[in-house]
Amino acid sequence: MNGGWAPLLASEWRKVATTKMAWVLAAIAVAYSSINAGVLVLVATGSIPDLPSGDANMLEDPDYITTIIGQASTAATFVLILGIIAVTGEYRHMTITSTLLSTPRRGRVLTAKMGLYGLLGALIAVVTLVAVTTLVAVALLWFEHAPITASTIATVGIGSLAGFVLYAVLGVSLGALIRSQIAAIIIAMVWVLLLEAILVLALPAVAKWLPGGALSAVMDVGLEADLSGAMTQADRLPPWGGALVLLAYSVVLALFALRTTMRRDIT
Amino acid sequence: MATVEGPILRVDTLTKVFGHRSPVTAVSDLSFEVQPGRVTGFLGPNGSGKTTTLRCLLGLVRPTSGGTLIGDTPYPDLRQPTRSVGAALEASGFHPGRTGRNHLRVLAAAERLPDSRVDQVLEMVGLADAARRRVVEYSLGMRQRLALAAALLSDPAALVLDEPANGLDPEGMAWLRSLLRSLAAEGRTVLVSSHVLSEVQQTVDDVVIIDRGRLVRAGALDQIAGPGASRIVVRSPQAESLAAALGRRHPGRAVVEPQADGSLLVRGLSAEQIGALAFAEGVELHELATRSDGLEDVFLELTGGQG
Repeated sequence: MNGGWAPLLASEWRKVATTKMAWVLAAIAVAYSSINAGVLVLVATGSIPDLPSGDANMLEDPDYITTIIGQASTAATFVLILGIIAVTGEYRHMTITSTLLSTPRRGRVLTAKMGLYGLLGALIAVVTLVAVTTLVAVALLWFEHAPITASTIATVGIGSLAGFVLYAVLGVSLGALIRSQIAAIIIAMVWVLLLEAILVLALPAVAKWLPGGALSAVMDVGLEADLSGAMTQADRLPPWGGALVLLAYSVVLALFALRTTMRRDIT
Repeated sequence: MATVEGPILRVDTLTKVFGHRSPVTAVSDLSFEVQPGRVTGFLGPNGSGKTTTLRCLLGLVRPTSGGTLIGDTPYPDLRQPTRSVGAALEASGFHPGRTGRNHLRVLAAAERLPDSRVDQVLEMVGLADAARRRVVEYSLGMRQRLALAAALLSDPAALVLDEPANGLDPEGMAWLRSLLRSLAAEGRTVLVSSHVLSEVQQTVDDVVIIDRGRLVRAGALDQIAGPGASRIVVRSPQAESLAAALGRRHPGRAVVEPQADGSLLVRGLSAEQIGALAFAEGVELHELATRSDGLEDVFLELTGGQG
């Protein structure tokens, strides 16, 4: 073997750093969660005309502050896409050939990608949290509001950190299984935005075991409703349970991919 | 002055069948060896199985049966694969948005090579000026040079190049020839595929010719294309008795192939030997002609005149 994981991770990092895709997705993640948080501030301050909920008192409710800061974790979908592109992008541009010439053991390549994209997920979680917290803190300077406590930031931060890491890793294993970039992204989007959204309402007892439900357990910020407002606390797994479920999905998908699609001939 | 010990590349009874429902046999029971210190041309028309063979050799395609070895190790089991074999398989394996230099830096990181080595190979292949341009702006010839730079990056003991001459201008061709010659002179193993014979004829020491996945010829170029390899066309009203006499008098040497038009094609003997034998046997000859059996002829036969 080529001696250790460090060179492999360094190579994967350079792949990310030398193309635009990851930076574009990270920027979208930051913008998306910042807009979500901004909208909640505007709603509470009555700055959006024709919205009935203009009640500045909302900002004095600590739970509402937690919900606003919690928007930092709403960009998980973009992290999932980033993970998907990690593998599918290599097949799309056929860089997989030089990757496998350098590291013929395909399991090593996949493991390194899961590791590096997990780290990228963590990085995006931190950047997003800093951006949202800063934006909200500045916006609230003009209003009476409950304090943004360190424990709120820590709770949201730990949740989105764990959630983004696990979703990025899940994306990598999903991309390994479905090598077509467009197919993998469409399947992921239909799953996250459509099927799970329906199942959460129809069959919460099942939905909590699915990736989206598990993610919402990981990102538990201690409120009754989760951030999408669909799953109540009683419906959810404990955070560690959600994390284990997500990890299990990634490992199972990755092992399955290594025995099927990733084993295929590179032609 | 051989300073590198190139490995022997071995293809051993390799068969590759693609697909299940309508299987296509790309390579069939193919065996050959590629020796270090020489440039070997891997020749065959388009679709003859060259690329599949090379991809099997490099662990990218799983053989249906048989196998391939780098020295005595399958490629995926090599301790440092890119130091044993540098490969340039196709001009399209680049991310279009990445610069040529960054493409190599990605590979260099996996091999713990410094950026100075990247700049060195870029210089070597003549891409130094274009190093910081994105690959999408590269011409086909520049992509070929970048692929070659990637192959050379780890200073490999063997080189496997798939159609490296595609897209190169005559100047680039001359440069590639001298590069391959000097790499082989250092003791490295060099295997170069091509579907255009004239590209490699002046460069190679050995040839391996395949067609429809099967071996046609393998050996030193001067044996296959040289004077000892000529064939003699013999036309005689007593062709059958002449063929029998040739087999009787020169067992194991004369190879006689009766042709559709009634003539005989004889390999392994000179025109003088055949004429003398015909005279001694009292066989009437209407034609006795030496045909040069150059590589070109073998190749043209295979490619249907498109080579």
